[in-house]
Amino acid sequence: MMQLPDVSLLPMLPILLVLLGAVAATVLGFTLHRRSVAVLAIITLLLSAVSLVPLWNRGLSAFNGSLQADNPALALAFVLLLGGALTLLVSLDTAYRARLSFPEFDAMLLYALSGTLIIAFAGDLITLLIGLEVMSLSGYVLVTLQDSRRSDESGLKYFLLGATGSAILIYGIALTYGATGSLNFAGIASAVSGLQTLNQPLLTAGAVLLLCGFGFKVALAPFHQWTPDVYSGAPTVVSLFLSTVVKVAAFAGLLRVFGGALLHAPGWAAALAVLTAATLVVGNLAAMFQQNFKRLLAYSAVAQTGFLALTLLGRPEQGGPALSYYLLVYTLTTAAALAVVAALQRSEAGLEINDMRGLYYRHPGYAVALAICLASLAGLPPFAGFMAKYMAFQVAFQNGYAWVAVIAALSSIAAFVYYMRVAALMFMPDRTPAREYNGVRPATTFSVALGVAAITALGILPNLAYGWVAYPDIWTRLAGT
Amino acid sequence: MIHVFLFLPMLASLLLMITPVRWREEVAGFAAAATLGIGLWMWGAGGAALFSVGWIPALGVTYSVALDGVSLLLALITALMTFVAIIYTARRIHNPGTMLSLILAMETGLLGIYAARDFVLFYVFFEDALIPALLMLAIYGKTHRMAALIKFGAYTLLGSMLMLVSIIGYKALGGSPSFALSDLIANPVKGAAQTWLYLGFLAAMAVKLPLFPLHAWLPAYHEQNHDSGVADVMGTLYKVGAYGLFRFGVTLFPDASLELRPVLMALAAFTAIYAAWVAFHQTDWKRLLAYAGLSHMGLVGLGIFSLNETAMIGALYLLAFQNVYTGALFLAAGMVQERVGSLSTRVGGLMTQAPILSGVTMSLWFASIAVPGLAGFIGEFSVLLGAYQVSPWLAFIAGLSTIAAAVYALSAYQTTYWQARPLGAIRVLDLQHTEWLVLGAPLAVAIFFGVYSGPALNLIQPVVRALIGGGA
Repeated sequence: MMQLPDVSLLPMLPILLVLLGAVAATVLGFTLHRRSVAVLAIITLLLSAVSLVPLWNRGLSAFNGSLQADNPALALAFVLLLGGALTLLVSLDTAYRARLSFPEFDAMLLYALSGTLIIAFAGDLITLLIGLEVMSLSGYVLVTLQDSRRSDESGLKYFLLGATGSAILIYGIALTYGATGSLNFAGIASAVSGLQTLNQPLLTAGAVLLLCGFGFKVALAPFHQWTPDVYSGAPTVVSLFLSTVVKVAAFAGLLRVFGGALLHAPGWAAALAVLTAATLVVGNLAAMFQQNFKRLLAYSAVAQTGFLALTLLGRPEQGGPALSYYLLVYTLTTAAALAVVAALQRSEAGLEINDMRGLYYRHPGYAVALAICLASLAGLPPFAGFMAKYMAFQVAFQNGYAWVAVIAALSSIAAFVYYMRVAALMFMPDRTPAREYNGVRPATTFSVALGVAAITALGILPNLAYGWVAYPDIWTRLAGT
Repeated sequence: MIHVFLFLPMLASLLLMITPVRWREEVAGFAAAATLGIGLWMWGAGGAALFSVGWIPALGVTYSVALDGVSLLLALITALMTFVAIIYTARRIHNPGTMLSLILAMETGLLGIYAARDFVLFYVFFEDALIPALLMLAIYGKTHRMAALIKFGAYTLLGSMLMLVSIIGYKALGGSPSFALSDLIANPVKGAAQTWLYLGFLAAMAVKLPLFPLHAWLPAYHEQNHDSGVADVMGTLYKVGAYGLFRFGVTLFPDASLELRPVLMALAAFTAIYAAWVAFHQTDWKRLLAYAGLSHMGLVGLGIFSLNETAMIGALYLLAFQNVYTGALFLAAGMVQERVGSLSTRVGGLMTQAPILSGVTMSLWFASIAVPGLAGFIGEFSVLLGAYQVSPWLAFIAGLSTIAAAVYALSAYQTTYWQARPLGAIRVLDLQHTEWLVLGAPLAVAIFFGVYSGPALNLIQPVVRALIGGGA
């Protein structure tokens, strides 16, 4: 008899289901039409989301803590699955036009998604790295899948800078291992508390390198430079995926490492504060000068990274709930905004800002939805973006980073200008004939409606989502035990 | 009842989107009238007591609302002017559904500002009033609205964001369990931190007030708005800065208010006189009204910043009724524009063909330049009387603005309504249909409260007394 290793499958169920879906998409792609594969993929994601429910509050783990299905992991996994499902829904309508309509797209997307889930569930640095690489490699393929010059260029850029980021990250892992003698988050955390002074510099270097590596993945300035090019060059559906799911996963990794394992390590918090401030300023100012709406959204994604990173400056019991709420809102908002772009664009270059003039009179529903998304991104109540920003400010402020909060507040004005310029243009009367692509897009419309309804509801009643994660004690054990 | 009062306009606003086109005006008018009716009913019942429930318990954000004297008065004025604006919009603007919807949405924001007794809730309503204002400008504005819009938005948000940081800071540093005003007052921040937080809070309020040098958005905003003046009526209602300073500024930052009093009073006095001077040079009625409003807001600011009971009562009185007559004047300017196709102050001779419109406009201007017997006088006189006790020179300088007001108002009035009608100019119609109500109701209010200030003072005085007694 073969002896099975000590593996419990239950905590891995959400990941396994997605992985199963990915394999099924790969195999069935030979016989089934692409739409059927996509529908199958959406069902897999739904199943995976359902499988999160029985794991809630159980705190299960597998592989001796290398994989943790604790509440933070489950909450973030939900956001990831939501982002994946929204991407697939939008792709149902737009993939054909974007010349992405083959089953490999769905397969790659599910592989990437399983990688992101592994990051969220990671309990040690190797698991984290595996998840990150699975996600990144699938991501490189997704970007180039369209077979156009623009997307090839984006893919190459994404690959080169992503690989650099990974290399730096691995270096950071090595140094951290050298300093603490452990790859396990819990082990690192306990080693950090009782660290020899001799190992301090090594640990600091490791932590900062890890931060830089993650900085590439989440697009913290000055490591953000690939973002606008890749997001605007990639097919819009893929941009949607990259700017939501991939970013959420990278933040999940950041939270695991810096909110858990390296929480008490010296140095990184100050570095993160500086990077955050730089990201806020650079992202917001650069977005002001964009003429292409998709590119604007790319820079706005950089700016939002800055706001998200504010939550990491605090203690995890405050920052964790704020981060997970913000990520949920960010995913819904960005997905809905990019879905509108995907639905209306004539080419994969997206829409020019000037094309937005009078959109309200041609596509009132999409225009209002996009305006709500932009208002939410700008942080205007009663939309959820306000609550998210407010929580982020609060976390930074309460932990002595008032100056970063003030910089965030000031850079929000630039954000307001570029979001509102677009929003206002949409409502200005315009007599030129329609310039948008016209067609029936039920799935896209559904995902836009879902996003807009959710950000409105979550803005008025934040507790619908926040109430689930607002327990400090679930965030104090991010490193596991 | 207070919740119905607050959210009925918003519900009606959403309802308008699915209402058939031919019923929209009736629905909007009914909603505005019902809101005003509920407001009056609450006045009869003595306001609404504090209602507080947790909104986001984990963060200490509560939904706390109350309508005491000052809030009730301002809310009633808002409801009245919204009703007037709705009546006028229904007649003046072609296919008014969107505009009606925006007006009602904005009403909820404004009423909420006056009712909020939680700092975060106040911020939420504060921003909520902004979105419809921006949309009005975007949809109904003139050629150069984009610049005006961005200026307006950027200034406002600059203030709002700093206020948000200061709100967060107040709770964090003071250690209050929630953002409810009573909790914040019980856990004050002391020392230098209070001054810094006050400056952040002040940034938002000074933009809205507006106070020199943060006023630059105001003239462009009014000039680029729709000619009818409806958007401007809502814009004048938007002057919630003074109320915010009164309700939150003075109570939460007593030491800082006292410390910064000379500077702020000087800025307010300068704003009053500077705006009056600029108003004198305007040839566009809307710009003139914008600067006139700015000048009055300087006086309001002077009253609030002086921390003197008389001046503060006067400031709130002025704040409440300034909305009425300035709002009506914006609508009157819109009526003139509708008739002669221009907002220029050099039209000439309207009096001969539209005597009632001209007469009512003149009476409203009299209220605005503080002629005794009209509501403006009581407010301005009390402000100056109170401010004199604190700083005679600043009161004197600010007092000059009331003389300047007479100069700019009457000279512009003279070139528009008197003089000769140019040869070949179209015939100007007098007030018609609902226009009687639109200008008549505000004028009646201005006269009533100019002669008989008791009911309004009864609302303002106890609150101010309690606040000065407990705060400064």
